[in-house]
Amino acid sequence: MYNLVAVRVAGWISALGRAGHFLSDVTRSLRDVGTWAGLTAVQMRRIGVQSLPIAVFISIFTGIVLALLSSYSFTGAVPLYFVGTFVGKAMMLELAPVLVGLALAGRVGANIAAELGTMRVTEQVDALETLAYNPHAYLVVPRVVAATSMFPVVVALAMAVGMGAGWIASISLLELSTPDFVKGLRLFYQFKDVWFGLVKAMSFGLVIALIGCHKGLSTRGGAEGVGRETTSAVVLSAEMILVLDAFWAVVLL
Amino acid sequence: MKRRDEIIVGATILVTVVVVIAGAFWLSQTRLGASAAVHNARFQTVGGLGVGSPVVLRGVRVGRVQAIRLGERNWVEAEVQVYEGVVLPARPAVVAASRSLFGEWQADIISLDQAPDDPNVRRDLEAALAEGDDAWPGATLPDIGQLTAQANRIATDITTISSRIQTVFDSQAVGELQGAIRNFTAIADNINRFTQQQTDIMGDVGSNLRQGSDVLADAAQRLQTSLARVDEATEQGELEMILDNTAAASEQVRNALEDLREVVAVARANQASLVRLIQGADTLMTRLQEGTGTLGLLMSDSVLYQEARLAVAQLRELLADIQANPRKYFKFSVF
Repeated sequence: MYNLVAVRVAGWISALGRAGHFLSDVTRSLRDVGTWAGLTAVQMRRIGVQSLPIAVFISIFTGIVLALLSSYSFTGAVPLYFVGTFVGKAMMLELAPVLVGLALAGRVGANIAAELGTMRVTEQVDALETLAYNPHAYLVVPRVVAATSMFPVVVALAMAVGMGAGWIASISLLELSTPDFVKGLRLFYQFKDVWFGLVKAMSFGLVIALIGCHKGLSTRGGAEGVGRETTSAVVLSAEMILVLDAFWAVVLL
Repeated sequence: MKRRDEIIVGATILVTVVVVIAGAFWLSQTRLGASAAVHNARFQTVGGLGVGSPVVLRGVRVGRVQAIRLGERNWVEAEVQVYEGVVLPARPAVVAASRSLFGEWQADIISLDQAPDDPNVRRDLEAALAEGDDAWPGATLPDIGQLTAQANRIATDITTISSRIQTVFDSQAVGELQGAIRNFTAIADNINRFTQQQTDIMGDVGSNLRQGSDVLADAAQRLQTSLARVDEATEQGELEMILDNTAAASEQVRNALEDLREVVAVARANQASLVRLIQGADTLMTRLQEGTGTLGLLMSDSVLYQEARLAVAQLRELLADIQANPRKYFKFSVF
């Protein structure tokens, strides 16, 4: 029993050490701008632009559900224009960053982990090293920079679309007028609401990309290993999103 | 491919940045290009007022709270941003107040001369004004939480009073109270009846007064007519004649009164003999009524009456016989 626990603890510490080593390599690779800068635009399109449809899809239905749920909860006691307040606050502060982050953890994190894992098990990464390429500057940094910079973009559009969907749902399903919805939307608005959500999204992008790259590059054991590391990357990314969400709530709010 | 990726990514970022900035300005109702003046306001406490809270003048939003910070000597200083072109009161002051029951606050710009009639607000404004610099005086109205706390204290006091009343009022006291209430009800009924009666009387009095007023009005009308006639008579000299006639009539009446006074004096002088006459008549009548005396007997005794009638009849027969046969009764002889 003690041996099992010791092995597990040693495994965690070892994994932590590998992660630290990986972060160190990535940080050093940031100086190799000539390598990663040219590759970043492609990754930004793959990670950011191509993630917009799913982000918009999620935010549309989230906005509708928020409007309906808030009107259901506010019936009688609270003025209905607070639907706008609730939709706006919830979308900007929490739901757009977290739900889009979780969705992109599956889409982007799994994609990165699977792609790099396959490259690792097929020894393409070893080939890059053999050719004197820095695999971190060539493979990791463009993805990390792209995810970190494009996640706020995706989340910002998701916020706007979600609030728009909530507005349409309010005026079409709740018989709430546009001025009332806008009044509620503006009621407790602060610019902090926006940048708080964007900062969270940026951190989510950074973590998802780092985890995906780390899991992918540490893949062992062929296709099975790729699948295992991909799953592990998605799960760990989702967990880290929720941890970071709580962290930012404690630190920034 | 790489160039195309860059364009797509760049466009996406550009659109997002525009959406975020435009949305942020729209939600915060910030007016781009409009310059604004910033004024300092001094509060003892700002309550729920925060950065970004609306600044309103007579209910119209004219700016926003730009900053709030702690000042010297326990004051709170707020920077109030007011849009250009807004005409402010001559002596502006700021009152922080709740906009609704749900925690929204706003800063109302008011004229210091028209401050709310609240002693706390006026005291805060005067204290802030006494600091003497250019900062606007500020005061804070209590929010719903403070009002609720006050209401809670009042409710607690009422509960205490209720419990004490419950302690004091046992069943006997309640019975007595019920009796008192019944008595009071009876008194109220009596008062009601009395009031009704008085109301009726007052109604009658009012009616009489109304009639009297009508009579007076009629009399006034007639007097007015008479005065008009007098006025006319005065013009034709008839009034003087009437006055002369009146004086003559008055003289005649005075003479008649003198005569009447003399008659009364004579009557008063003959009063004793008249009284005696009446007393004698009264005695006579009494005796007649009692059947005493000659006349009384005559009136009351029917036999005497018959005999008197018979005597009279015989006397008439005797007279007739004397007239027919005088020699039978009278004999004249000379010598």
